[in-house]
Amino acid sequence: MKGFVTALLLACVALTSRVKADDLSGGECLECHLEIEDPITELWKDDVHAHAGIGCDGCHGGDSTKDDSELAKRSGSGYRGQFTPRQIVLSCGGCHADIEYMKARKPLLSVDQLEKYWTSQHGKLLAKGETRVAQCVSCHGAHGVREVNDPKSPVYAANVPATCAHCHADAEYMSEFDIATNQYDEYAQSVHGKALLEKNDVRGAPACNDCHGNHGAAPPSIDAITNICGTCHSYNAELFLGSPLAPGFKEKSLADCVACHGKHLITHASDDWLEDEPGGACRKCHETGDEGSDLALYYADTLGSIRQSFDEIDELLARAEVKGMDVTEGEDYEQAARQGLLQARTLIHAFSKPVMEEKVTDIAQNQAAALEVGYAQLKAFDDRRRGLAISTLLLLLLTIGVAIKIRTLPPLE
Amino acid sequence: MSTSPENPERALLAWLKDRYPVAQFVEWAEHKTVPVGRGAFWYYFGGITLFLFLIQVGTGILLMFYYKGSADTAFASVRFISAKVPFGWLVRSIHAWAANLMIFSVFIHMFSVFFMRAYRKPRELTWLSGIVLLALLLGFGFSGYLLPWNELAFFATKVGTDIIGVIPVIGEPIMYVLRGGEEVTGSTLPRFFALHVALFPALLTLFMAAHLFFIQLQGIHEPDAWKTQPEQRKTMPFFPHFFMRELLLWLITFNILAVLAVFSPAELGVEADPFSPAPAGIKPEWYFLSTFEFLKYMPAHIGPLEGEEFGLLIISLGFLLWCLVPWIDRGRSRTMTTVVMVGGMAILVFLTILTYLGYVA
Repeated sequence: MKGFVTALLLACVALTSRVKADDLSGGECLECHLEIEDPITELWKDDVHAHAGIGCDGCHGGDSTKDDSELAKRSGSGYRGQFTPRQIVLSCGGCHADIEYMKARKPLLSVDQLEKYWTSQHGKLLAKGETRVAQCVSCHGAHGVREVNDPKSPVYAANVPATCAHCHADAEYMSEFDIATNQYDEYAQSVHGKALLEKNDVRGAPACNDCHGNHGAAPPSIDAITNICGTCHSYNAELFLGSPLAPGFKEKSLADCVACHGKHLITHASDDWLEDEPGGACRKCHETGDEGSDLALYYADTLGSIRQSFDEIDELLARAEVKGMDVTEGEDYEQAARQGLLQARTLIHAFSKPVMEEKVTDIAQNQAAALEVGYAQLKAFDDRRRGLAISTLLLLLLTIGVAIKIRTLPPLE
Repeated sequence: MSTSPENPERALLAWLKDRYPVAQFVEWAEHKTVPVGRGAFWYYFGGITLFLFLIQVGTGILLMFYYKGSADTAFASVRFISAKVPFGWLVRSIHAWAANLMIFSVFIHMFSVFFMRAYRKPRELTWLSGIVLLALLLGFGFSGYLLPWNELAFFATKVGTDIIGVIPVIGEPIMYVLRGGEEVTGSTLPRFFALHVALFPALLTLFMAAHLFFIQLQGIHEPDAWKTQPEQRKTMPFFPHFFMRELLLWLITFNILAVLAVFSPAELGVEADPFSPAPAGIKPEWYFLSTFEFLKYMPAHIGPLEGEEFGLLIISLGFLLWCLVPWIDRGRSRTMTTVVMVGGMAILVFLTILTYLGYVA
């Protein structure tokens, strides 16, 4: 009986694994490669194509119905074996650039990857015969291709920087291409890198491909930079393009956003950048005393003064709150002013004093209202204390009156 | 006695006497006495509780002028009361502080009655009605805590109703009815508001009337020693002696309330957001801390029961025994009396320690 149960269990296990292998496309090719325990078969289990009914012959050709290797790869079967990089691109593109084919299978997937690839730096070099450039498999993998939104995919947003860095941070590999290899290190220290790699903000933070493009990856041209940054920082871009600085930047071929904020190592912008000191962002181009420097000083002084007022508000509201007073209205005004300060920092990109002055007036009004609430609450607390003193006095008089009355009552028997 | 318009006070009395048995009431009041002795001080706490309850009624009505009992408006209306309504902060703070002092006072009242053994025959129903009143006051506290619809209250209510849900068989339906669904949501608030201002006041009025009626009917409990040594018996007239002393304490209590309201006004905190995670350090009001802490110490499972179920079973059994104290200690056995008194002291110490532990946790 025991033997029967064991046999039954083994049969079930065997059947289960059989069913799993049967679920995958690959036909007799897969059967053989499974038998020889080819590592490719392990990757194939997670490949999107394997689950979409595309077998080995879809890319490699051959006859997947034959269980004999010789017959399967025989001449005339279309067997292509291993690919060159160019063949890889053409093979993937054979389906992915075919509108009718993709429409029937994955209609929401774009079909311009191949077209874009030939416009990319990688594609251009490949076209010239350079085979060490990235092609489809370099980023997506070969037999374990996963969906882009699969966190295990090398092209999942959080994995993209490491995937690109695989080649671009390899100094030896890149030496012949004359390209810097510190992009990944810089990116990892940047606001974008920290947001993506440390906070896993896959929806908000940009990876390499968000600025450089993915299939059409190339260094952005100077003209494109504002548009690229403006994809997310749209208001900043709009303000800058409408500012008096934009024509000057264009004339001098300065890389708009990058000129002040840098490229891969983009850190949090600070009000200190506006200071008229060596290392200040504005001092890169402006001399002390010129119009731009004066505007920078105005920004620095104004924002400094606003920040100082916040310290005063915080101290005042905290003082009132410690006394148990309700300062939420003051906090609301302060919050509005802080929101205004954020907006003011954005408005710097307009490089216009009148635009900033309007916002500063708005901030000042909210700050004044917050201070007013704080002082009013402190005064109200003093009023309450005075009221308490008067009522305590009255209650004390009443208490004394009752105590006197008790003493005048007839003594207890 | 002149009934002329020149003496309106007497004229009114004469008018009342013509219509109602005022004389009988006056005579009853003149002869009503209160025992005098070492434990006499504790008699005042029943009256202090009543006084605080009257303050609750008054301030509660004033708050209702402005309070809006729905999830969309509750927080803003309480904020409006605290920030904009003249003396709104004072009324709200007094309401909050008086609630706490009232529950503190009612605990003192209950334990003083217990240790003076005033629960014994013929006052069993006075004891039971008192326990119901305590339960109702705790219900007032629990339901009122949610009404400002702030973050702390929201999550404390979630924890509190979770505990109710653990009670076998009836727990879940009760929790569902209280919450108005599976979770604490905007539907919970109107229910708690209705309980706080309609059902609980109605029940409290009923039981308080019964409680006071029993006391007036049977008189205030006198020390047991007086039965064997009647020469030690000493009383004071309720009117005016006891009443004036009670009035003195009411005035002092009122002043304490005013000081607390000015120097530690009721806070409002952050508006409740059902979708935000619970902030750290969620605790119930101090009078539920001992229960909360006791359940926290329960292991995951005890026998076939879950730890919390077992804890609630122990609490329920303890509560049942507490209700049955007049029948457990009838004064016939000195040993039983000692056991009950030691048990009561142990409960008091246990509650105090757990409350302290819950407070500092």
